Amino acid sequence: MHQIADVEVAKNIMDANKKLAHKNLHKLEDNGIFCVDFVGAIGSGKTTLVEEIIDNTDYKIGVLAGDVISKFDAGRIEKHNVPVVGLNTGKECHLDAHLVGHGLADLPLDDLDMVIIENVGNLICPVDFELGSHLRIVVVSVTEGDDTVEKHPIIFQTSDVVVINKVDLADAVGADADKMVCDAQKLNPNVKVIKSSLKEGIGLDEIIAAIEEAMNS
Amino acid sequence: MHELSMAQGIINAVLDTAEANNATEVNEVTVEVGRLAMINPEQLQFILGVLIENTIMEDAEINFEEIPAEIKCYDCDFNGEAILDDKDHYAPMVKCPKCDSLNVETLNGKDIVVKNIVIEKPDDA
Repeated sequence: MHQIADVEVAKNIMDANKKLAHKNLHKLEDNGIFCVDFVGAIGSGKTTLVEEIIDNTDYKIGVLAGDVISKFDAGRIEKHNVPVVGLNTGKECHLDAHLVGHGLADLPLDDLDMVIIENVGNLICPVDFELGSHLRIVVVSVTEGDDTVEKHPIIFQTSDVVVINKVDLADAVGADADKMVCDAQKLNPNVKVIKSSLKEGIGLDEIIAAIEEAMNS
Repeated sequence: MHELSMAQGIINAVLDTAEANNATEVNEVTVEVGRLAMINPEQLQFILGVLIENTIMEDAEINFEEIPAEIKCYDCDFNGEAILDDKDHYAPMVKCPKCDSLNVETLNGKDIVVKNIVIEKPDDA
């Protein structure tokens, strides 16, 4: 004989990641480190932006470079003589707090001012996964199409800074960079929006200033 | 494809609870999916179906309950259920129902919670 029972589970599937994200944040703060998480699509310019920040500031920076497979981004950043850990997600479409926790364990935290996390190229899945950073910056290039911001509302609503990159190519690809700025501000009235062309040296100072403003607030 | 890791998390929670209650079979699973979680319930259902083969939840009916988004509006102090403008998006824009502002903090609606399961177990368990 058997019986039927209704059993309460009440298990939040997102909690495990959230707890690890808070652990990461505490670990960073215990070491006096500010942490920035860069999200954006494949080819938006995240790695180049990380390289430019390393080369144009005096902060002691460590980098966690996320890729689905391979160590391409980690290899590029290594050439700038900073500690870098490549994080492979394998089949997954986002970094999670667990992977970031392992990455932090491999960085010399007692000798860093800032940790930059470069997420995998994706405007969708990273929304669900806090990593433990202080600031989230989403990078979107005009070459992705000027409807990209309005098509992916939540990542723009949940980021602190929006970088509209490759504005020098806007005319060539028929994109309206100002429309992307307006879309971001409409979706997230509190967000800071910066137009940039890293190739032309436009916008980098503003991006660094936005990071410093958050560091000092 | 983060439905895969979500599905695995759901299955682990169900099987752990089932085992702790000496279940021989899981008949029903109810999962609350926040309207703002970046998850498509249809894809989640599909991948769950694949992953539960050859487990005691293989024949379980999996029910999804949608959890609405709750917000606090920074412009008018409204606190409660948001308007979700999703006419152009599966993933909706979150608006204040009182003043139409997008300047809001999300209080609820992003989580995925395994709420309860219905199991079969021996009488003496």
